[in-house]
Amino acid sequence: MNSLFLFAADGFGLNLDLFETNVLNLAVVIFGLYKFLPNFLGGMLQRRREAILVDLNEAEERLSQASTALAEAKKGLEQAAKKADQIRSDCKARAEAIRLESEKRTVEEMARIKQGAASDLNAEASRVSNQLRLEAARLAIEKALAVMPAKLDKKAQAKLVSQSIKTMGEA
Amino acid sequence: MGFMPFVFPFAELEVGQHLYWQLGNLRLHGQVFLTSWIVIGALLALVVVGTRKMERDPRGVQNLLEFLWDYIRDLARTQIGEKAYRDWMPFIGTLFLFIFVSNWGGALVPWRLIHLPSGELGAPTADINTTVALALLVSLSYFYAGLSRKGLRYFEYYVHPTPIMLPFKIVEDFTKPLSLSFRLFGNILADELVVAVLVFLVPLVLPVPVMFLGLFTSAIQALIFATLAAYYIGEAVEEHH
Repeated sequence: MNSLFLFAADGFGLNLDLFETNVLNLAVVIFGLYKFLPNFLGGMLQRRREAILVDLNEAEERLSQASTALAEAKKGLEQAAKKADQIRSDCKARAEAIRLESEKRTVEEMARIKQGAASDLNAEASRVSNQLRLEAARLAIEKALAVMPAKLDKKAQAKLVSQSIKTMGEA
Repeated sequence: MGFMPFVFPFAELEVGQHLYWQLGNLRLHGQVFLTSWIVIGALLALVVVGTRKMERDPRGVQNLLEFLWDYIRDLARTQIGEKAYRDWMPFIGTLFLFIFVSNWGGALVPWRLIHLPSGELGAPTADINTTVALALLVSLSYFYAGLSRKGLRYFEYYVHPTPIMLPFKIVEDFTKPLSLSFRLFGNILADELVVAVLVFLVPLVLPVPVMFLGLFTSAIQALIFATLAAYYIGEAVEEHH
């Protein structure tokens, strides 16, 4: 056995034999990793970090853009609300005016129609009474014509004429 | 000490020797515990250092940790699915990081500088007990994942396409931890043995490419273990129909 134990051979200790502990090969491997890993892993990590930073910047930019857009939109909303209020009050006023106007017109129309109906009624009544009067006159004349030839003689005629003249004189 | 009957001039090999700790009736492999604690401590230290001062601009260790987090998140999400991966990401990440750091620590740290009364320090994953424990944790996890997400409907999975699958699915429950543990254990132990034997025969230069290859397979094994664990959990929580 050529193993070299610095401390008690049967307990815990350090083994400093170069070959037995494979330290030389390990050193080569670790050195190789040390050369290789930082390039590989470090490059990957760097790319990741840059991607994250770019994402963060973009997100911040989008946030600021979005907040300005939000402010603008709020302003627009305010204006629109104001305009809507104005339009609403205008509308109310116009609606009130139109209502009053049409009420007035309706009342007038109703009055006109009532008046028209009354005058129509009067005209009809006078027309009918005229007609009745005419009819009565016609019937009286007819009756008189029928009766008169039998009753009328010279004496009666003379009496009637004188009576008529007398009536005319009185009238 | 060496298992060779004759004495080589440079190095010696130790296989199947352990630093036993007696705990009641249990005989613990002390060297595995020691290296596991070192690995756990290193990981904790890395995480604590990396998360102590978090900034919006990720630099240095924080960037590395976030990168690892992204990597594990992607792994878990592709295997488990969008719905359940959040619950299992810590577990998958722990498995991956522990196995990865164990494997690389076993391959890169000159453990043999420290002489033990018996056995030698190395990757904790080169001991079957570690890998079996990890694999059984995976088994428990996927059962728990399935049962907690789907209740007793989890067992529909056993007869899923047809009831003919029942025996195979039951056998799978045993072969999953078996294959998980033996694959990891075998790869890491074989790796260590190849390097040890090469060092034993040709002390310089020749072991270096094999050691690099070992680093590569170690990383792959950690990835495979974590991916399969995630896949099993994903299989258990997956909704059929």
